[in-house]
Amino acid sequence: MLGKLLKHEFRATGRTMLPVYGAVVVLAVLANVSIRMLSGNVGPLLSIFFGLIVAAFGICVVAAGVMTLVLMVKRFYTNYLKDEGYLMHTLPVSVHGLVWSKMIVSIVWFAATFAVIGLVLLLTAIIQTDTSLAQFFAGFPSWAEIREGLDQYGIRLGDLWFIGFEALLCVIVGSLFTCLHFYAAMSLGHMFAKDKILLSIVFFVAISFVLSMATTGYSAGRFYSLESMDVTLDTAQEAIRFAKAMLGEMLLVEAVQTAVLYVATVLGLKRGLNLA
Amino acid sequence: MAILECKDLSKRFGKIQALDSINLKIEPGRVVGLLGPNGSGKTTLIKLANGLLTPTSGEILIDGKAPGKETKAIVSYLSDKEYLPEWMSAKQLMDFFTDFYADFDRERAKEMLTRLGIDETMRIKQMSKGTREKVQLILVMSRQAKLYLLDEPIGGVDPATRDYILDTIIRNYNPSAAVVISTHLIADVEQVLDDVIFIQNGHVTLQSSVDEIREEKGKSVDAYFREVFKC
Amino acid sequence: MEWVFRNDLPIYSQLVDRIKLGIVSGALPPGARLASVRDLAMEAGVNPNTMQRALQELEREGLVFSQRTAGRFVTEDTAAIDEVKKTLARGQIESFLAGMKELGFDREEIIALLKEDA
Repeated sequence: MLGKLLKHEFRATGRTMLPVYGAVVVLAVLANVSIRMLSGNVGPLLSIFFGLIVAAFGICVVAAGVMTLVLMVKRFYTNYLKDEGYLMHTLPVSVHGLVWSKMIVSIVWFAATFAVIGLVLLLTAIIQTDTSLAQFFAGFPSWAEIREGLDQYGIRLGDLWFIGFEALLCVIVGSLFTCLHFYAAMSLGHMFAKDKILLSIVFFVAISFVLSMATTGYSAGRFYSLESMDVTLDTAQEAIRFAKAMLGEMLLVEAVQTAVLYVATVLGLKRGLNLA
Repeated sequence: MAILECKDLSKRFGKIQALDSINLKIEPGRVVGLLGPNGSGKTTLIKLANGLLTPTSGEILIDGKAPGKETKAIVSYLSDKEYLPEWMSAKQLMDFFTDFYADFDRERAKEMLTRLGIDETMRIKQMSKGTREKVQLILVMSRQAKLYLLDEPIGGVDPATRDYILDTIIRNYNPSAAVVISTHLIADVEQVLDDVIFIQNGHVTLQSSVDEIREEKGKSVDAYFREVFKC
Repeated sequence: MEWVFRNDLPIYSQLVDRIKLGIVSGALPPGARLASVRDLAMEAGVNPNTMQRALQELEREGLVFSQRTAGRFVTEDTAAIDEVKKTLARGQIESFLAGMKELGFDREEIIALLKEDA
């Protein structure tokens, strides 16, 4: 049933996100043209016009990012905690399926927004500087050069992959955490009959406070100084080893917090659901 | 076995005791009226049966199981709220129901939409309140469920729609399924009911058949209800 | 025919009376096949269980019989139908007489009045 929930959720969110991406791309093209025009000789009125387009592009990029986040919150709220909840919570699916479908779809949109924004900014940068794509990419070191550089410092490629993988996991778990921070706050806040939104905000702040107290306490003890961790960063290998361990530990801390929020969200929906 | 059973079921919201030690059984093949004034606990009971609320104490069992994934597959629920996503068309909603409910009869839903002259491509947002309610009812009644829980299905609809709703309930009658209709408009539904449950201040005060009440009291359930719940 | 129900009697017994009336009046002739329970229930706007109960009652009284696969039929026993007709007629007469008695007519006067009217 998770597949069907995902399908439905993509259908519901795609109708917002795809036009947003469309707008970003269209404005990116217009902004590119505008920047070229501005560098030529245009009158004051046209300058203002082109300037506005460039500004609109900038706003649209920011708006796309904000929209992705807002949609993540809004979908959970309207679909599970308002009247649509009567439909969604009586489907023959588990609460886990309900929560995961919203998280997975949100993370896919996070990644898509990141990719779209990255791409248009990159293209804007390239076109603006009148560099061709080939020239642009020629600026990067070749694969062989990278290997050579790594060998020089005695760094194994596998280590880099591992760090990359850890970092990716950190990003994914971090995204889950972001979603669940909102979800947990809302599902706990909506267990009450009155002031549901106000209580959700209170829970949001309380969760931030409690989690940061707990993790700051932990980190302060753990990462007080390099000496306290018994590491020296004298060699590249050592730095790599340290990065691996550090990321691993961050991942663990993040995962524990995320799991706590997940349990809170599921319990809030399962035991405390109180649709108006 | 009873399709719906409550054992000492209680639900409390803060200081308010919405349901107090309810005991009742509903057998398959019955059309049951859940009757009581506003705020008597009808909606709370139906929400508990759907797993939208958790009991404070006692149990509620659907086909012998506590509300959950399995029971939701056999319960068809009509809420008194407008709960369909506004952006969806009737056709998309049929896709949705086909996906999630194995017992959804799409042909039947299409036929009912056509009969009521509702365009499949119309979105909920574009529909009038009455049309939205009809679409909700069509989706709910197009399932071959074991238990239908209809919360105030005739509250605020015009007489023609009310007749259509009652007709649909009769046409859809299935000896292995039970229908529970919660309402305070008894005269309108009395003819289609087998049994009635009177609920008052969170207590079940009477569970009887319509004809028994008429035979014993020599008056309609509606008249009897007015007597029992006289202010 | 519109199905209207009184409030002070069980619905099933009113259904029994209605169908009986159909049979004795000839609207449902002997041997005629009855519609399915569901269709009859739809027509009357009542619960199918109630209609089922009414039909069972009619079966018990011998006015209707069911064949397992073919459905339900009105009895072909015209003598039985006449019997019911008489019973119903007696009922009508009784209530008529009761009404007349309240108006202060005695038996002879009623008969005289009826003859005068005819």
